[in-house]
Amino acid sequence: MAKKILLVEDEKIMIDLLQKKLIQEDYEVSVARDGEEGLRMMRETKPDLILLDIVMPKMGGFEVMEEMNKDPELKRIPVIIISNSGQPVELDRAIKLGAKDWLIKTEFDPQEVIDKVIKQIGK
Amino acid sequence: MKENKGEKKISILLEDLNSLESYARDLFSFLPLPVCLVSSIGIILEANPAFERISGYKIEEIIGKPIESIFDKGEIEELSRATFEKGFVEGKEINIFTKEKKKIPISASTTLRKSEEGEIIGYFIGFFDFTDIKKTERELGNAQTALLNMLEDTEKEREKAEEEKNKTLAIITNFTDGLFVFDKENNLLLINPQAEDFLKVKAEKIVSRPISELSKIPVLKLLINLFGKRIKKIFRKEFSLNENLVLEVTTVPLIRERKKVGNLVTLHDITREKMIERMKTEFVSISAHQLRTPLSAIKWTLRMLLDGDLGKITKEQQDFIRKTYKSNERMIKLINDLLNVTRIEEGRYLYNPIFTDIESIVQSVINSYKDEIKNKGLKFEFKKPKKKLPKVRVDIEKIELAIQNILDNAVRYTLPGGKVTVSLKHGKKEIEFSVKDTGIGIPKDQQNRVFTKFFRGANAIRMETEGTGLGLFITKNIIEAHKGRIWFKSKEREETTFHFTLPVKNSLKNF
Repeated sequence: MAKKILLVEDEKIMIDLLQKKLIQEDYEVSVARDGEEGLRMMRETKPDLILLDIVMPKMGGFEVMEEMNKDPELKRIPVIIISNSGQPVELDRAIKLGAKDWLIKTEFDPQEVIDKVIKQIGK
Repeated sequence: MKENKGEKKISILLEDLNSLESYARDLFSFLPLPVCLVSSIGIILEANPAFERISGYKIEEIIGKPIESIFDKGEIEELSRATFEKGFVEGKEINIFTKEKKKIPISASTTLRKSEEGEIIGYFIGFFDFTDIKKTERELGNAQTALLNMLEDTEKEREKAEEEKNKTLAIITNFTDGLFVFDKENNLLLINPQAEDFLKVKAEKIVSRPISELSKIPVLKLLINLFGKRIKKIFRKEFSLNENLVLEVTTVPLIRERKKVGNLVTLHDITREKMIERMKTEFVSISAHQLRTPLSAIKWTLRMLLDGDLGKITKEQQDFIRKTYKSNERMIKLINDLLNVTRIEEGRYLYNPIFTDIESIVQSVINSYKDEIKNKGLKFEFKKPKKKLPKVRVDIEKIELAIQNILDNAVRYTLPGGKVTVSLKHGKKEIEFSVKDTGIGIPKDQQNRVFTKFFRGANAIRMETEGTGLGLFITKNIIEAHKGRIWFKSKEREETTFHFTLPVKNSLKNF
């Protein structure tokens, strides 16, 4: 059975690109366009991994992780942060909130996202 | 017998008369005051030796002379008339002319002389020389005038000084900078209204008090801490009491005729400049962040196209996309540089310094350039000490960036066949890193601008259009934030060496 990945990201083109790449790798991908929707969907779909953007409308990535930390069931799901800025302060905060890994969009290629995903949950 | 008696009496009287006459003559001769007898028609009948002395005439020359030939005519006529009318004159100022035609002022007194029959036969004039008194009087007069002039001058000078003082005070009072003036014992001499307003203090409460006392007042304490109680020289130090007031503080010793007479402290309001600077930095920061989102979308799309994730593409298409991808990477680099600069300017640059092995950082940066060095046909050497270097406390990411910027310049601006040498040395209290190249060099007239923002050497621009001109600015800031030093030596068309140091015992305050 294919592993389920929830992609929480507001940029349409990034969703399209990542979705395509992940599906090619045989993952089952669901998409949320903001933090609130992301939280709702992770409760419904119980994904194996979450790819989480930081800056989003309604609710940002940090708040999403804070909410996840309150729920033991959600807390178990590994999170990879996809950040736009990559400032050390931001990354530090993500790690403290329990993120398993992170990547900065301008510094990484889509293939590296896949590599990081595989590293967390395998194929 | 009777006759004899009478004769005898007469002869006694005659004797008496003779001795009286001689007495009168002696007295007349002895009298230090000049005296003469003038007949009723104005002829000098007699004069004494004192008269002789003052007038310069001999007695025999004087006697028989008309009085007006010796005295001023008008004055003596008036004197004679007054004497005949009243019988005497006392202390009248007139002038006498000597034989040498010298005019001497005198004070003359007269008295009528009558015969035994009561007939007026003339008058005596007695006088004394006024010259000395006159002279003294004149001198006194001069002295008085001089004194008055001096007083007047002094008054003028005083007015001038007063005016200057008022002018200076007006300048100080209306100056837009806040001013404190201290005397040479560091007592506060004056403070202008602008300074009172900046610091919310009242001049009358603090003026003439010593600096040691002033530093007990909380708001002044913060200010005085900048330059100390001995008021050391500082230049444009920033001082902020609250968000709405940023001051630039400068102290200047007041020197008069090569002697220090005190200190001047100026407070220049730079709140507005600071705000504009912050807005500018924020603007760049926000726009750079905003630019990154579309840039990463472009990057990822191109990458997936190149990787064939979006379907097969022709060789030509692949070439174009590869070039576009490279351009996009350059744009990302520029944005990253701009963000680094804004972080430097916001003063929040270094992050999380840790003790680490500098050699491995240098090695990893070199590794990332291996291919480029090889492709370009450059000779390369890494000189490092045999003994392991002590660890230094650095922000790894930033130091990596600093090393990378220097190495990147060396590789980029050295022509094929040239050589790049990276060295690490252990100094007394520091580790020195350097990169030497045999590249195009930096033109001498531009060397003082190397570390400024957006600088690119004219020869570098001709050679390559790429490059932001931010690398060395960022590098310098990184090194200085680590309390290190950075410098270079360069000769155009020959070689360039960049050095920086990192202190071994690094406290890294103000992170």
